[in-house]
Amino acid sequence: MTLSEAGTLTPPGDAPASADAPAYLHGVVAQFETVDDILAAAAKCRDHGFTDWDCHTPFPVHGLDKAMGVRNTVLPWLVFCGGLTGFLTGIGLQYFTNVMEYPFVISGKPMASWPIYVPVVFELTVLFSALTTFFGMWGMNGLPQLHHPLFFSERFKRASDDKFFVSVMADDPKFDAAQTTTFLESIGATHVDRLEE
Amino acid sequence: MNTTAASYLDNTGKDPTQRAPLVLGANDLHDVTDKVCGIIENPKPSTGWYVGMAVSLLLLAVLGYSVFYLFFVGVGVWGVNNPVGWGFAIVNFVFWVGIGHAGTLISAILYLFRQTWRTGINRSAEAMTIFAVICAGLFPGIHVGRVWVVYWMFPLPNQMEMWPQFRSPLLWDVFAVSTYFTVSLLFWYTGLVPDIASVRDRAKHRIRQIGYGILAIGWRGSNRHWHRYERAYLILAALSTPLVLSVHSVVSFDFAVAQLPGWHTTIFPPYFVAGAIFSGFAMVVTLLVPARKWLGLEELITLRHLENMNKIILVTGSMVGYAYAMEFFIAWYGGVHEETFAFISRATGPFWWAYWIMVSCNVIFPQLFWFKKLRTSLPAMMVVCLLVNVGMWFERFVITVTSLSSDFLPSSWGYYYPTLIDFTTLIGSFGLFFTLFLLFCRFLPIVAMAEVKMTMPQAHPSKH
Amino acid sequence: MNAHAASMERPVLKDKTRLGDVGPKIAHAALILGLIALGGSIAWGVTLEGGKPLWKSYLINFAFFTSLTLGGLFFVIIQHVTHAGWSVVVRRVAEAVACNAWLMALLGAGFVLGGGMGSLYEWWHLHPGHGNHLYDIKAPYLNHTFFYIRFVAYFAIWIVLSQYFFRTSVKQDESGDPNLTLAMERRSPLAVILFALSLTFFAVDMLMSLEYAWFSTMFGVYYFAGTAGAFFAVAILTLSFLQGRGLLTESVTKEHYHDLGKLVFAFVVFWCYIAYSQYMLIWYANIPEETFWYQNRLGDGWKGLSLFLLLGHFFGPFLFLMSRWQKRRHGTLLAAAIWMLFMHWIDMFWLVKPGADMPALQSSVFDLTLFIGMGGLWVWALFRRLQDVSLVPERDPRLGESLRFENY
Repeated sequence: MTLSEAGTLTPPGDAPASADAPAYLHGVVAQFETVDDILAAAAKCRDHGFTDWDCHTPFPVHGLDKAMGVRNTVLPWLVFCGGLTGFLTGIGLQYFTNVMEYPFVISGKPMASWPIYVPVVFELTVLFSALTTFFGMWGMNGLPQLHHPLFFSERFKRASDDKFFVSVMADDPKFDAAQTTTFLESIGATHVDRLEE
Repeated sequence: MNTTAASYLDNTGKDPTQRAPLVLGANDLHDVTDKVCGIIENPKPSTGWYVGMAVSLLLLAVLGYSVFYLFFVGVGVWGVNNPVGWGFAIVNFVFWVGIGHAGTLISAILYLFRQTWRTGINRSAEAMTIFAVICAGLFPGIHVGRVWVVYWMFPLPNQMEMWPQFRSPLLWDVFAVSTYFTVSLLFWYTGLVPDIASVRDRAKHRIRQIGYGILAIGWRGSNRHWHRYERAYLILAALSTPLVLSVHSVVSFDFAVAQLPGWHTTIFPPYFVAGAIFSGFAMVVTLLVPARKWLGLEELITLRHLENMNKIILVTGSMVGYAYAMEFFIAWYGGVHEETFAFISRATGPFWWAYWIMVSCNVIFPQLFWFKKLRTSLPAMMVVCLLVNVGMWFERFVITVTSLSSDFLPSSWGYYYPTLIDFTTLIGSFGLFFTLFLLFCRFLPIVAMAEVKMTMPQAHPSKH
Repeated sequence: MNAHAASMERPVLKDKTRLGDVGPKIAHAALILGLIALGGSIAWGVTLEGGKPLWKSYLINFAFFTSLTLGGLFFVIIQHVTHAGWSVVVRRVAEAVACNAWLMALLGAGFVLGGGMGSLYEWWHLHPGHGNHLYDIKAPYLNHTFFYIRFVAYFAIWIVLSQYFFRTSVKQDESGDPNLTLAMERRSPLAVILFALSLTFFAVDMLMSLEYAWFSTMFGVYYFAGTAGAFFAVAILTLSFLQGRGLLTESVTKEHYHDLGKLVFAFVVFWCYIAYSQYMLIWYANIPEETFWYQNRLGDGWKGLSLFLLLGHFFGPFLFLMSRWQKRRHGTLLAAAIWMLFMHWIDMFWLVKPGADMPALQSSVFDLTLFIGMGGLWVWALFRRLQDVSLVPERDPRLGESLRFENY
């Protein structure tokens, strides 16, 4: 899994790349034309038993998770923990500053009066949850990762426009450049690009 | 099917047997990318953009001067005095925070309600939210007098061993507005990433490739990413929904926890929220009607989008009207003399003109949107929405100033006279807002392409 | 455009959509139980302590069942205002629930004419010009004649609206005319306005004026927040019941329950927001004219109930319903719906029961017997209404959308 880590261009495994070595093949990427095609292709790739593969679409395609067999993310649980932290921080902050450290009588209210805690506790809960969501989601996605072998393919630029792609990486035990290309073509790919520098 | 040029842009039909298309014309997925990216890829923006930018920068300079002058001389340059100690600064603050609410409503609440039409307008409305909150944040920042210790608003450990007082709603404001700004920014940026990736992938120039490349953080449309992305988007929407309610509620607490007649009213929180959404939508319509024309986005931001927004303006305007009515009813029903007086004085006292501007702009004129002809007519909606913007500014003026100027003690009553600097600061804040908005139109995708594509027939499997 | 519409397939309902002989069984049992409980309670309670315990319990349950009915009406109107598609299969139940307005009108008339007003409302006995300055101010609103007029107006509005939406929708079952949908959509905005005003002043008259000195601009919104939330719980319960009898097994899916669950959740939060804002503002300003109302609810035992309301009406359901999984599982959702109805009842209890005359928490047997009484009649009326019609609007133009609906 060297490739997905920080997008290094060093090939995995034993041999270090030398200047005159043949171009290293990172994988292949196949283009599909419609949502129907990508859904069908994803299901077939899943059944074929690939492990290091992915679909790339310009927008989330509903049903693709099921077709690919993507499991539900644990993000909501992280967010819940983040929110709980914010909740406790809010209570702690107000209690610590206004009851313990700097008690001050204002309009005859008790030092610890819960109705006034609510807004700040609420805001901090939301803030912590949102920060957890944002950083948790990008972190779990392994982004930012400014370079990726997929960007070697000129055609792949349409993945953010109107085309749909399936990528299979060389690390996949079932990967074989020629066979995988044929397989992808057989399930409806219109073009298959090799991901080489 | 209609094909004539004039009518194909009208998708406001009501046929219940089918849903109206949200992207008009013969646009496919690629055309959407082309249309939206084309705006920022155009090497030279239109003359209109330059003119707008020049005016905005001029106003921004006016703001800069006013603020500089304020810092130099002190808050005495404003018209605030006894008994009206809260003047334009708080009015402008509440006004701008309110403007921001439409963006979050569109991006979060309409998302939760599966209103797919939001996709055409959410990006620009969210941008507007952020810019409006920046404008709003300016006023508490500059009104404190000693601006160099403005960080005292935050609970930071300091050598005086003092802490802010959490029983003050003004401190809740600090938390609410800064949370609101942060979460809106995260939400906005999350939505932007896939679209910036589209811009990156089309960029020809090296600097653009690098710039948009960094902003796109390496997004490659991976479905494993989309899966978490969509879940995160849903969570952010679910968080933003109560957040947006809380922000203007907290702002309303600034007034409503007091005992001042006219301020202490329990309906203030939902009433402020409804008013905020009302004014925010009016601002979105005001900006988008010209923008869609100039940027050639009439097929993406359609008449139906505008009509729906006008309907929301009608609904929230009526809620505001309900709150006005309830305030009056309870002011009388409650039988508290000062409260009754405060409300009668609003309508007939020294600030009667402000009150009637408020009522006519906020309650009466939006009723024109009951007529479909008017809510689908561009000039009519421009006029009504501009009036709503004016009316909502006056609402905050009426609330703030009338109650302060004549409270329990007649001997301390006094009139409020804003100064020239008050006006230049208000007008200048529009310069800041429009400068940011025009920059946004120039450099970032103004329509959420990925989301719009999701609503198109091409995005759905042919067999269901 | 029309060519396209005509070519669209009419969705075929694959499940049973008629109550058949399930209906009469339930209706009869409910009617008998209801009449016995209601009649017995009144016969026994009307002379007990001047009828006061009876009428307090009566008002609690009257406010509760009226709010369920109004929740149904609100749901129907809002679906038309927003041209909603997902909810079509749920809407007939809501239409029928709303039609119970006539029953609530009768029960309300019983309360007003039977002596409930005189027994519970202090202002009912006051007359202007007798030195009660506060009442003198309020007399133009709080007087017998105007009260009768308003009371009739509220129920007239609700009966007319609910009958209109129910009948038009049923008419569409036969004709399938999409113009009927258009007609309902055209009238729904006006219905919203009438609904908002009537509900607000109903809450003011029946609940807020129990302590006529007290006032809160938010009060109507508070009653509304509980009302809307309670209806979604009713819908979940009713649909589950029908599905348990082998009806609507195909048309109403997990997706619809999920959405109803989300709405319950949303109104749990909204209710708390309104309740908190009202309480906090009054607590903070600390003006005696307002605080006494909460003081009455913080006395002996009442404080515990208030706390229970906060925990049971907000924190518990909030945490319980937060997860998507809980809302999509039938058992958990059903449990949440029953709980929310119970809490809504507690909320009504909390609004009606405390007062200067009841410093300590106290419940009466009538709370329960009248719940059974009115509940029985309410269920009877609901099933009577559903007896001869389809349980879903069979030919609504958006039925297909509703059947296909999926949460992503």
